[in-house]
Amino acid sequence: MKKLFVVFLLLALVATLSLAKVKIQFWHAMGGWRIDFLAQQAEKFNATHPDIEVQVQYTGSYRDTLNKLIVSVQAGAAPHVVQVFDVGTQIMVDGGIAVPVGDLMANDPTFDLGKFLPQVLSYYRVNGKLYSMPFNSSNAILYYNKTIFKEAGLDPDKPPRTFEEFKEAARTITKYYQGNVVGFGFNLHSWFFEQLMAAQSAPMCDNNNGRTGRPTKAVFNNEAGLKIFEWLNDMKKEGTMIETKVEDWTGARNLFISQKAAMLLSSTSDVALMMNASKENGFEFGTAFLPTPADAPAGGAVIGGGSLWIIGGHPDKEIQAAWEFVKFMADTEQQIEWHKATGYFPVRKDAVEQLLFSGYYAQYPDHLTALMQLMLSEQNYNARGAIIGAYPEIRTAVEQNLEKMFGGELTPAEALKRAEEAATRAIKEYNEVY
Amino acid sequence: MLPLLHAGGVSMRKLYPYLLLIPTFVIIIMFIYYPAGSALKLSLYKTSPFGNRTIYVGLRNFRQLFEDPEYLYAVRFTLIYVSVSVAITIFMSFIIAYMLTRGVPGTRIYRTFLFAPYAVSPAIAGTLWTFLLNPVVGHVNYFFAKLFGIQVAWLTSKPYAFYALIFATVWKMLPFDMIFYIASIQDVSLDIIEASTLDGANTMTRVWRIIFPLVSPITFYLVIMNIVTTMFSSFAIVDVMTSGGPGGYTTNMIYKLYLDAFTFQKRGPAAAESMIMFAIMLVVTIIYFSFAERKVHYQ
Amino acid sequence: MTRSSKKRLNTILIEIVLITVSFIFIMPIILAITMSLQPPESVFSFPPKFFPTAFHWKNYVDAFNTVPFARLILNSAIIAVMITGGKIITGTLAGYAFANFKFRGRSFAFSFLFATLFLPAETIMILPLFNLMNKLGWVNTYWAMTIPFMASATNTFLFRQHFMSIPSSLEDSARIDGAGPMTYFIKILLPLSKAIIGGATIINFVYSWNMYLWPLIITMEDKMKTVQIGVRMLISAESANNWGIIMAGTMIAVLPTLLLFFTLQDLFVRSLVRSGIKE
Repeated sequence: MKKLFVVFLLLALVATLSLAKVKIQFWHAMGGWRIDFLAQQAEKFNATHPDIEVQVQYTGSYRDTLNKLIVSVQAGAAPHVVQVFDVGTQIMVDGGIAVPVGDLMANDPTFDLGKFLPQVLSYYRVNGKLYSMPFNSSNAILYYNKTIFKEAGLDPDKPPRTFEEFKEAARTITKYYQGNVVGFGFNLHSWFFEQLMAAQSAPMCDNNNGRTGRPTKAVFNNEAGLKIFEWLNDMKKEGTMIETKVEDWTGARNLFISQKAAMLLSSTSDVALMMNASKENGFEFGTAFLPTPADAPAGGAVIGGGSLWIIGGHPDKEIQAAWEFVKFMADTEQQIEWHKATGYFPVRKDAVEQLLFSGYYAQYPDHLTALMQLMLSEQNYNARGAIIGAYPEIRTAVEQNLEKMFGGELTPAEALKRAEEAATRAIKEYNEVY
Repeated sequence: MLPLLHAGGVSMRKLYPYLLLIPTFVIIIMFIYYPAGSALKLSLYKTSPFGNRTIYVGLRNFRQLFEDPEYLYAVRFTLIYVSVSVAITIFMSFIIAYMLTRGVPGTRIYRTFLFAPYAVSPAIAGTLWTFLLNPVVGHVNYFFAKLFGIQVAWLTSKPYAFYALIFATVWKMLPFDMIFYIASIQDVSLDIIEASTLDGANTMTRVWRIIFPLVSPITFYLVIMNIVTTMFSSFAIVDVMTSGGPGGYTTNMIYKLYLDAFTFQKRGPAAAESMIMFAIMLVVTIIYFSFAERKVHYQ
Repeated sequence: MTRSSKKRLNTILIEIVLITVSFIFIMPIILAITMSLQPPESVFSFPPKFFPTAFHWKNYVDAFNTVPFARLILNSAIIAVMITGGKIITGTLAGYAFANFKFRGRSFAFSFLFATLFLPAETIMILPLFNLMNKLGWVNTYWAMTIPFMASATNTFLFRQHFMSIPSSLEDSARIDGAGPMTYFIKILLPLSKAIIGGATIINFVYSWNMYLWPLIITMEDKMKTVQIGVRMLISAESANNWGIIMAGTMIAVLPTLLLFFTLQDLFVRSLVRSGIKE
């Protein structure tokens, strides 16, 4: 009788333990239809991990999400996993609130970091440590309207490769359509400046782009920076370019989709969207690497997008559950689905291999452009992109001065100089507390 | 009814107003003054984004703001933006309200249409105008191209971004003022209006000279309310329409504050900015009160 | 010119001005409706469309599928009703105190309340307020989105002005009849204020329906979000390119307040301020 009772107790204990699921919160910034997509991924995870329940929340844009994270951390109500954008990396490291995924990996023999793309890892490594799990990675590529290219007498299979060719193509198109179509629609976002700098192997800030120490000043007022400013200014003056307002992704895409602009720089994460939109609006488009000045040294593509952070202050069991989830999201199958649905490239080698061998890229070559651009990147500090705590403010400094240049208030040289000065001020102010 | 209080007589009656004020004051002290106090404290510190590092800097946040040409520009721009949009709104809403009280055919429909923007939130108002002012496919530019043969980049070029902002602000704010003016013009005795409309050649001037002063208490109230709206609630319209651009041209104080607080994560300076805004509003109100008290025509 | 012909000329002038201005004012909303009914391929048609040529209801279906609007509308309605009710209660009570009583510290209390106009919660006060909500355990609840906004200077002033315009002889005779201050307030003052309460209800409802920044920060789950945030979710920079769907979402957010306004506008015009805001 007594034995039976013990057995019963044990059974009850096992039952309650298995019933008590570990609940973790996951916040992300992927709006629109991607909300559903990520919810499905989490469901899939929940189904295969019966002891864990992931609750997914879309928390608005990257900025909204970061702000929410900040208030919730200070209030002691932080989520377990949160998606943070590329330029938030240093802020997150300095905040000291995350459990570095590098530490969790070290204790997990099932995990093989060697399967990840080294280019992606090297972007997210700060002071030699991997703090967050790469998830949605992108870089900037050129989108061009093949239909317009053909019509205007340009070779639709030969997108411009240099700044000069680009300007010339923009000129030809604008002239051909008498200004009803312009060559280039520019999303006034500092991200493209940063990408074009890296493509020329030029630095944004000192201490090797912030990779070997906390940056103390901005250094982008150099030849490469000036070439970009002048290139943009020339096209603006010639009337072969329309710029959007600051960081207006939608506005810029609309310029391209409505065929008002023949070329666009945008994230590779737009590929899937553009494939649909071009079909709906009856034109053909192509993608290419970012243009660079003809005489510029070879550079690389900076990783953009976001990564998954595990926030500390939760019980060990929950952190482990969060790690399981993060691992799952970065796994081959999920990365392939995510890549196909959006255009963000997979962060793992085996995913790329699978896609390549299944003939996916033969069918959808535009999905490959950004990946190739990344693979062919130089591996140096400048091509890797900068890590700066004050990056959001630096972006505004670059954008404001670009706008002033477009408005004719400043010459390219003056605008660049002022942007650098403002950026340096922002860096110094950020460093005051550290 | 409440025999106890009533039985208390005179002494109870003394206590009454305080009891009546309790709900209001509990709420404003807890949810406005207490957070404002924290913000005041925060304005004396520099903090890291996640608040894990904090250093006391005294008044340095304030000093840095007053030395920052961009901030001083935002202050100047705010003064211009507020005064222009409030002046236009007051002027237009009064004229339109006057016309709507003339009993011309169709008044009800016009009034309905003119009211509509009031129901729209500032963020959505900004979204609508952003689309209409789109340089490529927007309806406004289609009109401009047809009528004057010009294309304007409304939201990305000087000075058009300012005009666009003023336009959207007036569009959003005018219905509120108009409602108050309609009601108060209806209260002005008919004889005065009749006399002023029929006498002499210059009708509008007379309306302006006679009726406008008669509704000055309303104007007084509306000016304050409009200043508050344009100072603080204009954030959403600026954010959606121009994002403060081009080149910081339309960055007003509240937008700068928002950028510093929620984009650049500079809580200390942002807190200092909110204190400055509070101080400016206080000064403006005191000046306006003492000035307008003498001018306001009480019936 | 005779008086009547001059009057006619005036009327024509007024008509012209009113037609022009009201056309400009309603146009954005009509265009939003037009856009919300366009299929994606004709959103960018040039020349742009001014009136609906298609009835592409799918935009609305898609908007509802992308964002859980039904729940968000319910949330917005709950929040708007709670805030409106709270503001009316606190506002009438405080307005009564300021209008009908003389007491020590009255002018200080009045200035103290007035100054809150210049301390909007939407600014930097959001952070301390959030921390306070957390201490109260209110994060992600209706309480957080309503109680802090249940008192305001504007409502108090509105009711104060109105109560002051009611002849004090009424109060005196009520007192002689043996009615206490609360009886007078409930039985006489409030019934006399139906119209202004109606006006204030609309204003407060629209205000709370349109709240933006605070709900954005304080809500953690979809089931607590409001309609305004729903629109933001639709616009969310990196996903939507279909203006038809965005405009459909916009209309979903605007329609309730717009309808409220259109149906109650007579009450509104008659009531509000009619006797208010005069010293």
